[in-house]
Amino acid sequence: MMTQATRQRVPIKAGYFTVPDDPAAAPRFLATRCESCGEHFFPRRAICARCLSEHTTDVELEGRGTLYSYTFVHFPLFGSMNVEHMDGYGVGQVDLPEGPRVQAPLAGKQMDFRIGQALVAELDTLREEAGCDIVLVRFRPVEVTR
Amino acid sequence: MRDRDVAVLGVGMYRFGMWSDVSNATMGREAGMLALRDAGLSFRDVQAAYVGDIFGPVMSGVRVMKEFGLTGIPVQRIENASATGSAALREACLAVAAGHYDVVMVLGFDKMTAMIQHATPGTARENMEDAILPAAFFAMWATRRMHERGTKAEHLARIAAKNFNNGALNPMSQRQPSSPVTVEKVLGSRMVAWPLTTMMSCPIGDGAACAIVGRAELAKKLRPDRPLVRVVASDLQSERYAPGHLFMGPVVGPAQMSIDTSKVAYAQAGLGPDDLDLVQVHDAFAIEELEYYELLGLCKTGEAEACIERGDFELGGRVPVSTDGGLIARGHPGGPTGLAQIWETTLQLRGEAGKRQVDGARVGLCHMMGGGSVCVIHILQRD
Repeated sequence: MMTQATRQRVPIKAGYFTVPDDPAAAPRFLATRCESCGEHFFPRRAICARCLSEHTTDVELEGRGTLYSYTFVHFPLFGSMNVEHMDGYGVGQVDLPEGPRVQAPLAGKQMDFRIGQALVAELDTLREEAGCDIVLVRFRPVEVTR
Repeated sequence: MRDRDVAVLGVGMYRFGMWSDVSNATMGREAGMLALRDAGLSFRDVQAAYVGDIFGPVMSGVRVMKEFGLTGIPVQRIENASATGSAALREACLAVAAGHYDVVMVLGFDKMTAMIQHATPGTARENMEDAILPAAFFAMWATRRMHERGTKAEHLARIAAKNFNNGALNPMSQRQPSSPVTVEKVLGSRMVAWPLTTMMSCPIGDGAACAIVGRAELAKKLRPDRPLVRVVASDLQSERYAPGHLFMGPVVGPAQMSIDTSKVAYAQAGLGPDDLDLVQVHDAFAIEELEYYELLGLCKTGEAEACIERGDFELGGRVPVSTDGGLIARGHPGGPTGLAQIWETTLQLRGEAGKRQVDGARVGLCHMMGGGSVCVIHILQRD
């Protein structure tokens, strides 16, 4: 576990979520707030999709939310070498408290998920590449322990 | 659509299937020549072409069109994901209605088998969105619907079984079951993304479809022997922002987009959902067809499940949906899919749909969604 925690973690794609120095800390979402109408967006954008204002600001949103809907996919996770993903993986639509609805993998099995439950974001390792862990953000039901 | 009346002059298809050794050029040429013969026209009469394909390389539109001969006509390629063929048809109808052309070819083709061969996961850095398969996206529609309305997997299975059994009556259908497909068989097929099984999902495939559209008066002269099929509505809309909007993943929707597009199409046609004799929808997954019953106004909100149980949307029912098998059975190669809906609706309105004929069909609606996303609706009406 020590080697796992100390290996550098690299996002599968830059610009969507943070990689905290503390492995126990939840990642944050790189989002946008419209300074004209107050709407929040994920991912980031320059122009407000709602009021078309160009007066927008980059913000980071905490990695937590509420499950709007879910499924369990019975295929291996694309790009993953992690044995945990070989039999499939959960996927959810998650409402962040500030408004954006995010689609992301879920930690756990089919029976662990229910609409309306509280979730927390975490970084999931897909594979090792050039000595780094390639990570993707996913959500875990608060009641499902690691 | 009413500046100048637009009619479907002819239709043709290259059956959808896993044709890995058949080129887009061959499939496109065969579908196009069938449509020209059906119209009573030669390629010399075609004044413009709109070509739809998703997965082809750069130049694929103009290159495939060379198969018909080089006559110098304007050729324009159009891509709008699953709605590619429908979007190409719309451009052709607008051009005829505006008086630019009398005869236009709309050709769709695609080879999903080639796309699958070229996909090499893990070799390039993936996107954030790759974890969200289309099946997962639509499975989450189903989970939410079950939560809100008590929908059962059996309702989805009944839609899929209907479409398989309709496909068995369509010689151009990719899936043609040799014995009737039951709800139990659909439920027992492999789980893709809970609660959706393989048989509740469209297959990948290759194929082509073509429609020749033109001035309505021309159709009367060319084929006075058969009913005239007019395009009485054509609308395309993209997403409108509302809270809870999804910006990433293989998204179609929001639901409101189908409602808004259908309202414009009904107004253009001067018709309403009660006037429809048959409907084709973007049933890439069975849950989609269930939602579109309500969004297109075929039944009231919350009544889709009861209507399914009554058989309202089956052949012989109140308003048959996916009469040719839909995306689930007839297939969904991409570019030609929306034009296969036009093929089916045109044959139905002419009374040429064989064993799946809807008695006395006069009005048919074709609905397509394209990822990203857009909604396209055409309404065809027989004189």
